[in-house]
Amino acid sequence: MDIIISQIEQLRNFISEITFSDIDKIQDDTLLFEEGIFDSLGFLSLVSFLNEEYGVEVTNDELSEDNFKSIKAIVEYIAKKQNSRLD
Amino acid sequence: MTTKLTFSKGIIKLNNAEQSASEIAEKLRNDIFYVLKRRGAIIGISGGIDSSVTLALAVKALGPDKVIGIMMPENDSSPDSKILALELAGKFNIKTIEENLTSALSGFGCYTRRDEAVKSVISDFNPLKDKFKIEIKQNVSNMKLPPIFYVTVYFANGAIESKMLPTKAYLQIVAASNFKQRSRMSMLYYHAEANHYAVIGTPNKHEVQQGFFVKYGDGGADVMPIGHLYKTQVYELARHLGVPEEIIKRTPTTDTYTAEQTQEDFFYQLPFETMDLIWHGWENGYTAEQIGNVLGYTADEVLNIFTSFERKVRTTEYLRLSPIHFHQTDMSTGLSY
Repeated sequence: MDIIISQIEQLRNFISEITFSDIDKIQDDTLLFEEGIFDSLGFLSLVSFLNEEYGVEVTNDELSEDNFKSIKAIVEYIAKKQNSRLD
Repeated sequence: MTTKLTFSKGIIKLNNAEQSASEIAEKLRNDIFYVLKRRGAIIGISGGIDSSVTLALAVKALGPDKVIGIMMPENDSSPDSKILALELAGKFNIKTIEENLTSALSGFGCYTRRDEAVKSVISDFNPLKDKFKIEIKQNVSNMKLPPIFYVTVYFANGAIESKMLPTKAYLQIVAASNFKQRSRMSMLYYHAEANHYAVIGTPNKHEVQQGFFVKYGDGGADVMPIGHLYKTQVYELARHLGVPEEIIKRTPTTDTYTAEQTQEDFFYQLPFETMDLIWHGWENGYTAEQIGNVLGYTADEVLNIFTSFERKVRTTEYLRLSPIHFHQTDMSTGLSY
């Protein structure tokens, strides 16, 4: 649970910093793309961040709204990727 | 009150190509002589459709003796570019000057910085033998997310390797490659100043509004006579003005990376004929259903394309901004806001 909370905070901080958005406006369920928070470079930076920070390699098939629409979705996606590595 | 036209495939077709060309030529002549107060026009010609139509319009506006075409090949240019540019110049009877930019670009470290970034992602890449390009693999009509860029290397032995670009490598490749457009701009202004001419820019409406240009590179010019035209309208004018057929038939490429690459692969993600119509519909308040019904897309697919347009316009605003000037408001402190 602590790991998830820390991931959420890390992602909030990262997204706020790279998108110049007020951190208070980025909640777990904020729709990051519909709210216009992310642009292309921001999204690319997020994908790089997931790789560098959590060892998650995003494949082309996984570039879907379901995996990235909110911080909650991203955390679930990270868990799924990490679990599949353990299997 | 004007009645809004029903959305159709012919909605952006020029009603009268001669009238459109004459109006643009008249305004261009007026801008060059009386607004910019310059004696003629300098245009970078690449054998591409946009620079060819711009040149043809400049000749219509000023006459061939006041237009100079500058060809600027460099290490990665297709040899076809020069052949087609010379054919164009011959057709319109203008003077050309060739300026090879390879040494200047090497001096800037354009190639080495770019290749180093590619190598950081695909370590077996050997720029002396292999070719590469940058591409987007997502389908824009199915994607709500921004595009992600991939680097694809075509090895000399026939193998192909493609990898998603991390931010650092992506930024370095773009920044290094942009030396090309900025070096071209510098060379165009050299010739413009040496002749007291104006630099005529060649971006079309999509390039300007979606930000497919380099700030102070191909975006650096004195006047942009086709910056309001859709790509299909540029083709209409090309046919009307007598641009050579080989140029009209050529697939628009970026002419930037070592492997051949279409503008569709690199940036637009849609064929021009479709993009022009959807952009027009989006800009003029047609619904996704109205557009989808005509073009064979679902409303959801059209909405995804609208989203990508909105994103591109928003995220490339920086490119279209002039330098921000401060104004001194307090003479005693010199503070400016």
